[in-house]
Amino acid sequence: MKRKLFKQIRAEWRTNVWLALELLIVSVVMWYIVDYFYINLTIMSQPRGYDTEHCYRLSFNTVTDKNPGFIKDRTYEETCSDADEILTRLKHLPFVEAASLSVNSHPYNGSSNGTSIQRDSLTQYGFLPFYQVTPDFVKVFRYEGFGGESAEQMADMIEKGEILMAGSVFGDLKYSAENLVGLDFTLDGDTTRTYRLGAALRPVRHNDYTEWGTVLVKKLPLEYYGWAGEYCIRVRPDMDRDIEKQLMDMSESLFHVGNNLLVNVTSFKFVRERYQQAQSNQMRDMIFLLCFLLLNIFLGLFGTFWFRTQQRTGEIAIRMSMGATKTDIFRRLLTEGLILLVIVTPFAVALDCLLAWNEFSQFYEYSHIGWGRMTVTCCGAFLLIALMIAGGIWIPASRARRIQPAIALKDE
Amino acid sequence: MIKETIYNLRHQPVVTVVTVTGTALSIFLIMVFVMMNQVRVAPFAPESNRDRFLHYNWLSFKHESWSEGSDSNGPMAWKVVNDLFYTFKSPEAVAAYTSSTDVKSVGIQGEKTFAADVRETNSGYFDVFDFSFVSGRPFSREEEDAGLPLAVIDTNVARTLFGTEQAEGKRFQINGGDYSVVGVVRPVSPIADRAYAHVWINTQSTDMPSSTWAEIGGSYTVTMLVPDGKTAGEVKGDFNRHFEAYNSGLGKSGWTIINRNRPYTQEKLAVSDFANVEPDLETYRKTGYTIYAILLLVPAINLAGMTHSRMRRRVGEIAVRRAFGATRFRIFSDIITENMLITLAGGLIGLLLSLLAAFGFGNVLFAMNYNYSLSPVSVNPSMLLQWSTFGWALLFCFILNLLSAGLPAIQMSRIGLVNSLRGGANK
Repeated sequence: MKRKLFKQIRAEWRTNVWLALELLIVSVVMWYIVDYFYINLTIMSQPRGYDTEHCYRLSFNTVTDKNPGFIKDRTYEETCSDADEILTRLKHLPFVEAASLSVNSHPYNGSSNGTSIQRDSLTQYGFLPFYQVTPDFVKVFRYEGFGGESAEQMADMIEKGEILMAGSVFGDLKYSAENLVGLDFTLDGDTTRTYRLGAALRPVRHNDYTEWGTVLVKKLPLEYYGWAGEYCIRVRPDMDRDIEKQLMDMSESLFHVGNNLLVNVTSFKFVRERYQQAQSNQMRDMIFLLCFLLLNIFLGLFGTFWFRTQQRTGEIAIRMSMGATKTDIFRRLLTEGLILLVIVTPFAVALDCLLAWNEFSQFYEYSHIGWGRMTVTCCGAFLLIALMIAGGIWIPASRARRIQPAIALKDE
Repeated sequence: MIKETIYNLRHQPVVTVVTVTGTALSIFLIMVFVMMNQVRVAPFAPESNRDRFLHYNWLSFKHESWSEGSDSNGPMAWKVVNDLFYTFKSPEAVAAYTSSTDVKSVGIQGEKTFAADVRETNSGYFDVFDFSFVSGRPFSREEEDAGLPLAVIDTNVARTLFGTEQAEGKRFQINGGDYSVVGVVRPVSPIADRAYAHVWINTQSTDMPSSTWAEIGGSYTVTMLVPDGKTAGEVKGDFNRHFEAYNSGLGKSGWTIINRNRPYTQEKLAVSDFANVEPDLETYRKTGYTIYAILLLVPAINLAGMTHSRMRRRVGEIAVRRAFGATRFRIFSDIITENMLITLAGGLIGLLLSLLAAFGFGNVLFAMNYNYSLSPVSVNPSMLLQWSTFGWALLFCFILNLLSAGLPAIQMSRIGLVNSLRGGANK
């Protein structure tokens, strides 16, 4: 029966070439999309190392001399203690669990600071993301210690002037933070003081779409308070209602400190959504493309096989009268479509490998290609297309099952 | 011809539905992509002059004392606006404005305040961007120079503050400081990202012009308007000469501005993600072409298969026509024309669907990267219903038609008479 099937496929080679060509192109594009989703979903499913639920960011503006409450000749030192006062007031609010001030440090941040770290003759080259924060920062975002340290314990370490680290340093030597706990380091080439690594953090990802990276956390000195500007709070879960409005209503009365005025409160849900808009837009486009390709396969197979069953009514009727069951007819048509896919798949896989080799695929764990990964993504693409082929052939094949041999063959 | 086509289509309803659906699907998705790109470059109020814009979006610079390869990139200081752009006479107008809007607290003394996106601008800003004024006017150059605390607000802010859109001359507070309304304009969608804000204030009424970083870095971005009768290239040429003179004068203080081929046209600005690299329009275009190619090619192959099957049933008919003297070209062009009718029907459905999707799901389709505006993204007919939209749709239909019907039509026009009439050309 299989031999006859091949013969038939060969006999209708003109339409089959169209189908095969389409399947080939779609297989390759589909593989690219499956690879995109496989890598991104893998990364997204990994723990981020922090928790931004029930967290809010507060924005302050400096008022000008047009505001009646403007204090002329406010010194920078006074501005720093104003910032400290804002933090104290935030911490005393009944619904606030923790409040922190930082510089380009909170998760989903468009800005970043870098530093370098040294020990003996070893220096970390390249960009080492650097969080300068008040101790409660780790409580606000619930960072976790690698050795099971609680956020409270780590806040105490920051308070004492110790540093925290996630990831690995010193280039190719890749010293992991957890193996360096307790050692002293110098920062930014400044050899006048050392910092003890108090604890290693559980791996941290800067946003939902990036892999784990290295981070160094250090206490924000009071003299930076004046321009730090990143006020973040964690709210008690049972009191997390209308926080934006509650805080804004206190803006003039409680949060006009010195020349600082609270002007906006945003939840981290919003911060996260907006920060990742570029990535989620890309994901949206990929979903569109995926649906488009699948629908096309469905339509193509549906149309072609509708024709075929129409043309082969006589043939199918003869088969049935010779003893073929309805299931046989159905299976035969399905197999015909799938054989086409099986024929093009080796070519598609070769093209996929070529694309991955030339780094057109997603970058993950220092590579664009890999046995395990290629197997998963190629199989994924194959299965998706096979499913659509089955879907497309289903309706014409069901129609073929209903052919009554006696009626179809009455002319013969 | 049309009658014949309709007869043929009705004769094979399933294939017709599949063909039209396939075409509609393809044109739908292509048009969604076209519109997604179009809103970034096509003109609509208040950015109706997008084809005449030249943006100097960021300033890139270095100091002679900095290590090799180090540079700073970001908005520019007012000093640069004043010394480099106010002295440059080629453009029709120069808009200088804060590169991003700033959330500020807006309200009336003693009453509740609310957060609004505020942009600081010069007076030329209102010559470059064509806001629709509901009442009042923009502030003038004299008022700008005098540092008067004047504001233009949108109708939503006007209604929230004063309960009316006729708010000219009324007073309100921004961060507790007094401002007077000079004009009220229609709300601006964040898609017009240069013009977007809720409140526009005279920048000379704040301390923004005097706040700088690294001496020549500040908070401003500049957009110049190319005058009628001049091309963007000519103004850019003028600018380069003017810029060279300014840059060499600046050299005495140790600073050098790295031009990165600025100013950029709207199209180039639309693909600019980072301040420290020149946007790569070529790569962006290539990616676009690849997407269009996939969106056209896959359905085209699909439809070609379908057309081929459809034609096979009509071999006899075509052979008879050939026998009665129809030329090959006639057969070919008839098939193409017939197919074009189907393509146009599918294309029309696709275009309508894409417009429905654009208006219905605008906030998803047109969500902008790196945008922190308080207002959600919205689209209106003036942005999407452009002649170019229909032009593109028609062009893509035409290409799709040629791709999907071309080969089958050639095959059909070449069939051998004797064989086909005998019924042997079915392969």
